[in-house]
Amino acid sequence: MNVTLKMFSIATIIIWIIIILFSVTAVLSVMNLNVETGELQMLPSSKGIIFSLPFSINNGGYYEIADLNLTTLVTDTNGTVFDQTVTFVPSIPQGTHINESHTITIDLDTIMSMDLAPLLLNDSSFNLEIFVELNFARVVPAQVSTNITIPWGAPLADFSIGDITVSSHNITHNEASIPVNFENHAILDMQGRLKLEVYNDSDEYVMSGEKVIAAPSQQTFADRIIAYPRIEESTRLTDTGRVLIVFETPMFIVELWENYD
Amino acid sequence: MTEINSNFIVKEVLPRVTKAAIWGIVTFIVFYYVPMMFIPQDLPENLIQFDYRAQLFNFAMISVFFAVAGQIFSKTIFGCGFGIAKAIIIIVYFFMVSEGGIFKLKIPVEEYTLNFTLDISIILLMIVSVNLLSIAKNLFEAVNILHEKSTKIDLD
Repeated sequence: MNVTLKMFSIATIIIWIIIILFSVTAVLSVMNLNVETGELQMLPSSKGIIFSLPFSINNGGYYEIADLNLTTLVTDTNGTVFDQTVTFVPSIPQGTHINESHTITIDLDTIMSMDLAPLLLNDSSFNLEIFVELNFARVVPAQVSTNITIPWGAPLADFSIGDITVSSHNITHNEASIPVNFENHAILDMQGRLKLEVYNDSDEYVMSGEKVIAAPSQQTFADRIIAYPRIEESTRLTDTGRVLIVFETPMFIVELWENYD
Repeated sequence: MTEINSNFIVKEVLPRVTKAAIWGIVTFIVFYYVPMMFIPQDLPENLIQFDYRAQLFNFAMISVFFAVAGQIFSKTIFGCGFGIAKAIIIIVYFFMVSEGGIFKLKIPVEEYTLNFTLDISIILLMIVSVNLLSIAKNLFEAVNILHEKSTKIDLD
């Protein structure tokens, strides 16, 4: 019996020593872990824009860091996923240094295939969720997450079509002036070709006009687009109707409908 | 009778109380002062919304109580009882503090909040195992004490 009791005592002491040693060395390892992030780089690509965040980890601790998983998830206020990017580092052994970068590719084709009208016309916000998961010493899984709200300024905020005025231009054509107003709340200047197609309340085509415009960031844009419809076409113009707005920039083409009255 | 009592106090009680007091002090130093030396003292109060000082103090107090009780009643049935109680309380304590092995913290950093989750269930499992072993050891010890008493022949 005494031998059994001694064995129990020895086993208990050994396990306590292991637990305490692991806990102390784990805390020291975390204190010797050095994580650095570089500057966020924005690079153009053939498909869109690439955001690259370089980071380095110096594992000066006593244990390996395994299965490091950095995930970023960009969603709009309705929860629609715009981008989900994962950077995976299988192992950072003790005493090693790694350099990695988390690359988020904004594919404009994908974004343009979505219903962008609300984002182009109304200010909103994006939700950026960041998850970092790792397995410390392959024994203690840890996760750090945060949620960041990024305000979105609409490039065509408060877009409105004013009263369309028609005057005679020549024997066959009239001259129509279509006032266009909007505010560029985006962080980038907007430059491109703005094309308007006017349809009456019966959805019949009336006229179209276009103009190359430049709307600097945080500025109000107010201009007139001149169209030269045939006289018989301009007679189809009604007090209310719809305008198809086509905005072509070097980066994207967007189409949206707006009512006029 | 008075002589027997004073002999008992001098030979049995006094050494046990002295040993218990020394063990109590050593336990408090090991379980409170030593860990506090490793924890940075300049941590902002709002950074970690977890009162680690109070939790460490509570754990140290539990350890001190059972170290003292264990020494005073060592090699008795009561000592074994305290040993089992200590193991059970430590298991419950670690379960409560670590929220079942999934340790969660919310750390405010400027206008954001970092949600920190640490899965220490394997360490918790080891702590539970070692305390179950301690319960088994104390049960064996209690059986041993009872066995020795029941088979002891008092020739006086």
